[in-house]
Amino acid sequence: MSPVVRLVMKRLGVSLIVLVGVSMLIFTIARVIPGDPARIALGPNATAEQVAALRERLHLDEALPVQYGHFIADLAQGDLGVSLYTNRPVTRDIAQFLPATLELIFFAGTMMILIGLPLGVLSARYRDTWVDGTIRVVSLLGVSAPSFVWAVILMLLFAFFLPIFPIAGRLADSFTVPAVTGFLLVDTLLAGNVRAFGNAAWHIVLPAFALALSGIGQAARLTRANMIDTYNKPFIEMARSYGFPERRIANRYAFRPSMIPSLTIIGLDFAAMLGNAFLVEAVFAWPGLSRYGVAVILRKDLNAIVGTVLVISAMFLIVNIIVDLLIAFINPRIRLSQRTS
Amino acid sequence: MQRYKLPFAAALLAATALTGTTAAAQTVLRLDEVAVGELDPGKATDYADSILMFNVYDTLVLPVQGGPGYAPHLAESWEADGTDFVFKLRDGVTFQSGNPLTAEDVVFSLNRMKALGQGLSFIFTNVESAEAVDEHTVRFNLNEAYSPFIASLVRLPIVDKKLVMENLGDGEGEMKDWGQAYLSAQSAGTGAYKVVSHNPQEETVMEKNGEYFLDVADAAPDQVRLRYGLEPATVRTLIAQGEHDISSQWLPPEVLKALADDGAQLLTETGGGAFYIKMNTQKPPLDDVNCRLALARAYDYGAGITMVAITGDVAQGSPSTGAVPVGMFGANPAGETLSRDLEAAKQHLAECKYDPADFTLEISWIGEVPLEERYALLMQANFSELGIQSEIRKVPWALFTEQVTKPENTPNISQVFVNAVTGDPDTLLYPMYHSSAAGTWQSPEYLNDEQVDAALTKGRTVTEPDGRDAAYAELNNRLMEIAPTVFAYDRQSIFAASNRVKAPALSDPGEAFGLDGMGFSFRLMEMTGE
Repeated sequence: MSPVVRLVMKRLGVSLIVLVGVSMLIFTIARVIPGDPARIALGPNATAEQVAALRERLHLDEALPVQYGHFIADLAQGDLGVSLYTNRPVTRDIAQFLPATLELIFFAGTMMILIGLPLGVLSARYRDTWVDGTIRVVSLLGVSAPSFVWAVILMLLFAFFLPIFPIAGRLADSFTVPAVTGFLLVDTLLAGNVRAFGNAAWHIVLPAFALALSGIGQAARLTRANMIDTYNKPFIEMARSYGFPERRIANRYAFRPSMIPSLTIIGLDFAAMLGNAFLVEAVFAWPGLSRYGVAVILRKDLNAIVGTVLVISAMFLIVNIIVDLLIAFINPRIRLSQRTS
Repeated sequence: MQRYKLPFAAALLAATALTGTTAAAQTVLRLDEVAVGELDPGKATDYADSILMFNVYDTLVLPVQGGPGYAPHLAESWEADGTDFVFKLRDGVTFQSGNPLTAEDVVFSLNRMKALGQGLSFIFTNVESAEAVDEHTVRFNLNEAYSPFIASLVRLPIVDKKLVMENLGDGEGEMKDWGQAYLSAQSAGTGAYKVVSHNPQEETVMEKNGEYFLDVADAAPDQVRLRYGLEPATVRTLIAQGEHDISSQWLPPEVLKALADDGAQLLTETGGGAFYIKMNTQKPPLDDVNCRLALARAYDYGAGITMVAITGDVAQGSPSTGAVPVGMFGANPAGETLSRDLEAAKQHLAECKYDPADFTLEISWIGEVPLEERYALLMQANFSELGIQSEIRKVPWALFTEQVTKPENTPNISQVFVNAVTGDPDTLLYPMYHSSAAGTWQSPEYLNDEQVDAALTKGRTVTEPDGRDAAYAELNNRLMEIAPTVFAYDRQSIFAASNRVKAPALSDPGEAFGLDGMGFSFRLMEMTGE
């Protein structure tokens, strides 16, 4: 078995155990926090009889292990139950809302890589110059303010005072695009509607940038620190003594080893954005899974809470496996350690 | 720098071309609501649900605009005989599917609502059965005299039976899921607007139904986009940019005021509800009527109204005149408003069997309603002038609904907003004050008073309007005597709107329905083209 396959198998096994643990934990937590989900679901005007009937239908009057048994039996058939918040199957809700969030964080993640890493490289290369100073201040600002603050600031600046970008939603009202994948940037292209694609891309810029700003700052600062550390290594000194141009030293010899810690952090940020996107989604009225997740927690919508947490956990684990593979690809020591084991 | 100018200009031009929007020929009304919109009319409870229901579906009767009583709508006429109500349906009404409206649809709609047992189905518990006498005649049989029955029909939307039966989802028995899966995403009504798309977390898009049985003005919006869960900052920006037309009522007063200052019009709706400060009558010291009266007199009603004022003459509440909101049966005249009387409060406190030095009142406020914290602070300040100590406690809604199920766990003072879901005082007052209804979020007073029970029963059994008015006036007086509640203010919903829309039912009292959500009948609105 190749070392990479072995690594993937090992990670998948661990991930499965983690998912089962998460399901048990969230299943229990969701049921012990105060509040009657049946009462909340039926609204303030429901009678005690209506509430009792719903509790029975949801098996809430049974012991916790029995309830978990029902949940696992349904899950085995791909059924996560019905959301009390939207009155629709949870799987349908997740299928509808997850693509919007994935599209947003994919765009934000791309920004983190395409902006954060080059900024870090530039900062290290021009250390202690005004370029470095400016990048460090901008990075610090990005890291120190939460994404929802940036969301409001960006909205005020670029949608209110300078109405360049749209304020809310994923697409202008005047476009109708058939949903195929749920990813609007893909669906608009599949429909052959270039104007709608441009409009969807324009809509995603501000929320994605607000979400990415913290990660951009973090990636830039980390890359800078690692690059500076690498610049002090003997092999860089050797490259300089050979007379290689600075750009080549930076891009070819210093950047690759410096990228490993940054990549790990970006990977974690990428996965964490699934949960953190809530406030940005709320500010920009982005109909994504994070906003749905918080709404269902507030309404104690048990099935939807468990379903959403499981999906976010699974995404987190998948991203971690991908990052591990990337690092193994970049860092030969990890590949070799797998071979040895 | 010069070499970057051309590519930059080209990129900007391309972006502008790509993102430009096509001019829409039809008029679009955009509004928002906080909660997810429930499209299934059998489950509708919230404000957003009501807006959807009143536009996509029709009911047998409608509240008379600008006055009391109910007018025929899908029904042409009706006759009442004790517990029997016979309705004659209009001829020539068709559902959006093209199916004709028949008495069978009315029977199906009632049976479906009762079978689901959700939403506001509890208001039909008095209905024993419904039967189709012929194609256009339907008879309801009640198990006891219930005079608010006609009023409750504004909450019975008529569903297209044939269409639903063709689209039954998985479920047990002959009726399977009663069409729940289908109706959660599609419309099956006769309403003036039909659903084009429905995303419960984003928006519901509706378009004018060209086959509607009543005339609809050409200026009524061709398309309506009801958005969900927009943040106040987003709504404010959208309205200022001309990308939104009517806000929800849940905007903070400061945001409504800012929008009004920017030139937005303020629309209002009074739906027969009020803000109530409820006292637990089963727990010391508020089991003593004089202690309760002392608090009711010490509360600063004027300051309470000021706290929800938007402008000099518009507020989210109007002064209360008593236990029954102004405009309902038994209400006191609008001019007889309640006011603070500290001397009277001190006298009542002197007659109370408890010494203020011996107790600390627990004043709760619902965590999801930050406005209530201000009222808790106001009460704390008001009551301290009587020498009464109090502690303020924030309680999440979920916890509050559990606490109130036992009198010993129920706080001394709770704050809730309650509405008459049908516009009739019975649906407002019976669940709050009848002894059989104690122990819900509406009745944390745990009131048990024979005179109150008798007046409430009389109010729902007497059929003549004068008799009902007398019954509720009697109830009003009794509630003021025993003060289970501080009747803080009559609630009024305020919406900020652009000048692109005219909504007479939300701006002219003579056109108002007096029922929450019905003012948003889009067929009665007009787009001004500004």
